[in-house]
Amino acid sequence: MSVLVVEGLRAYYRTSAFGVPRDVRAVDDVSLAVEAGEIYGLAGESSSGKTTLIKTIAAATQPPLEVLAGSVTFNFPSGAIDMQRAGRSQLAAIRWRHLSYIMQGSMSVLNPVRRVHHAFVDFAFRHLGQPMPRFLDTVRAHLQRLQLAPDVLDAFPHQLSGGMRQRVTIALATVCRPEFIIADEPTTALDVVVQKDVLAMIRGIQRELGSSILFVTHDMAVHANLADRLGILYAGRLVEEGRTADIFRAPRHPYTAHLIASLPRLGDTAPKAGLGGVPPNLADPPPGCRFHPRCPRASAICRREVPPLEPVAPGHRVGCFHPEPAP
Amino acid sequence: MDFLSLLRVNRQFAAGVVLLAVIAGFACLSFFSPYPPNDSFVVPPDVPPSAEYWFGTTSRGQDLFWLLTFAIRNTLLFGIVVAVLSRLLALLIGLVAGYSGGLVDRALMSINDTFIVIPLFPILVLFYFVLKDHMSWSLLALMMACLGWSYDARLIRSVALSLRHREFTETGIFSGMSTRQILVEEHLPYVLPIVFSTTMNNINWSIGLEVTLSVLGFTDINTPTVGVMIYWANQHTALVAGIWWWIFFPVLLVVMTFIGLFLLAVSMNEHIDPRSRLGRSER
Repeated sequence: MSVLVVEGLRAYYRTSAFGVPRDVRAVDDVSLAVEAGEIYGLAGESSSGKTTLIKTIAAATQPPLEVLAGSVTFNFPSGAIDMQRAGRSQLAAIRWRHLSYIMQGSMSVLNPVRRVHHAFVDFAFRHLGQPMPRFLDTVRAHLQRLQLAPDVLDAFPHQLSGGMRQRVTIALATVCRPEFIIADEPTTALDVVVQKDVLAMIRGIQRELGSSILFVTHDMAVHANLADRLGILYAGRLVEEGRTADIFRAPRHPYTAHLIASLPRLGDTAPKAGLGGVPPNLADPPPGCRFHPRCPRASAICRREVPPLEPVAPGHRVGCFHPEPAP
Repeated sequence: MDFLSLLRVNRQFAAGVVLLAVIAGFACLSFFSPYPPNDSFVVPPDVPPSAEYWFGTTSRGQDLFWLLTFAIRNTLLFGIVVAVLSRLLALLIGLVAGYSGGLVDRALMSINDTFIVIPLFPILVLFYFVLKDHMSWSLLALMMACLGWSYDARLIRSVALSLRHREFTETGIFSGMSTRQILVEEHLPYVLPIVFSTTMNNINWSIGLEVTLSVLGFTDINTPTVGVMIYWANQHTALVAGIWWWIFFPVLLVVMTFIGLFLLAVSMNEHIDPRSRLGRSER
């Protein structure tokens, strides 16, 4: 059974300026499922709704963001939970213990004027239900497992390097051994060498705990290294989903195809062709397929109707009326 | 950096600490005074400073040295009580307004702005004329605390406003911390350095205002404070009569207090804020 099932999720930023209502359709009709022990990568350019989607999945929405339709269900060993209908106490009971969230800009998750151990106590202590001395032992053991010296607990965040801080926040998110981890761009601010270490660490801890990870980044190279399966978001919609290897080898959606073709390859000296146009304004998206104004394969139906996300091969779904031919 | 090395490195801090230590030590002497503060004609009147009466005696036959120990103790306590009470109000209102935002923020800040524009001095004089004999040291402290929180509440609110959307706040909410916990555990340590330095300013402000009111006789003139001493000296036309020491020593002590507090206020930040403290020690 899938750990996370998202069905028909719609989340809009609803505002009203001078009495004129304005909806920014940041997440529109997204359905996906994440299996136990899997790393699901979510890719997409800036403002494609990645962060909105995972905030909605974690039920960490605040006005003006509103969930209009759809459901998010987590199936934990302790029982299934519908995130949109769960009460505050139910959410509090699963957060951190079963579901943890590494937020965007996670380097600043640590309060700059407090020593690191306070962050562990503030965020994780109440979820583990251990007495304080044993909790601190658990934290130290966990840090050691992640090859971090336990002295970091007594440091202020600014005394740690960027990579250390990032590792501490990952330790913070995994100290309760959650079944599901949501990670929003955890490697974006790091250079590639540190990035490699952090990715290895995420992979290692995931193998050890057997958790599932929903991993969000715009960096396709990171996805290629880490994700088991990949979902491509464009303008608030999931346009393609499949095994990472399949998507990199044979992308079927025209947007994904251009995205993959834009990646530099060793020894390839051919100039890269860009795609004209810009992503649509989500307050006023084009009718039909949201990619049609930029799509070289667009036809009349693309301007009228929204293409459903349909399987083209086992475990590979594409939302396009005219997908690229299979290799 | 610990307290001792801060004393060594930061001359302003050292000077402030020395000045305030002298003042505080002097105030503590009041517990060993041979005379109760309100007894008069216990020593010969109008004796200039001498080996027997270090600061001289007043026209009311009080030993100025011992009287001044009581006065400075009451004045310091007054400043500290006002500062602590008004800081509590300012922290509570500033943090809650900044974190809650919206209607709560607007309501609290309109109250806050009302207090900012109220002219303090006429209000306090008015209170004196309404209360007259019921006016006491503690009542005045309470009133000043209720009038002195507004500037700081605004300052704290502006900081809290920026903390509200920081990642550690959002992670705290996500992990299920209550509003009270977020305010106390996450936001309070962030604003404390600001509060500490404004505390010194607030003590200065309240002592200044208290002295002003006392000199004019608009307070309880039977509790000896520095201002009340100057009031009685004026009542006995001390300067005309040539009893200069009756005015000189109270003024000297209160000026020392002001300078000491000011030096602490400007150097305190370095000791409390871990970022600037470490930045300095690494240099």
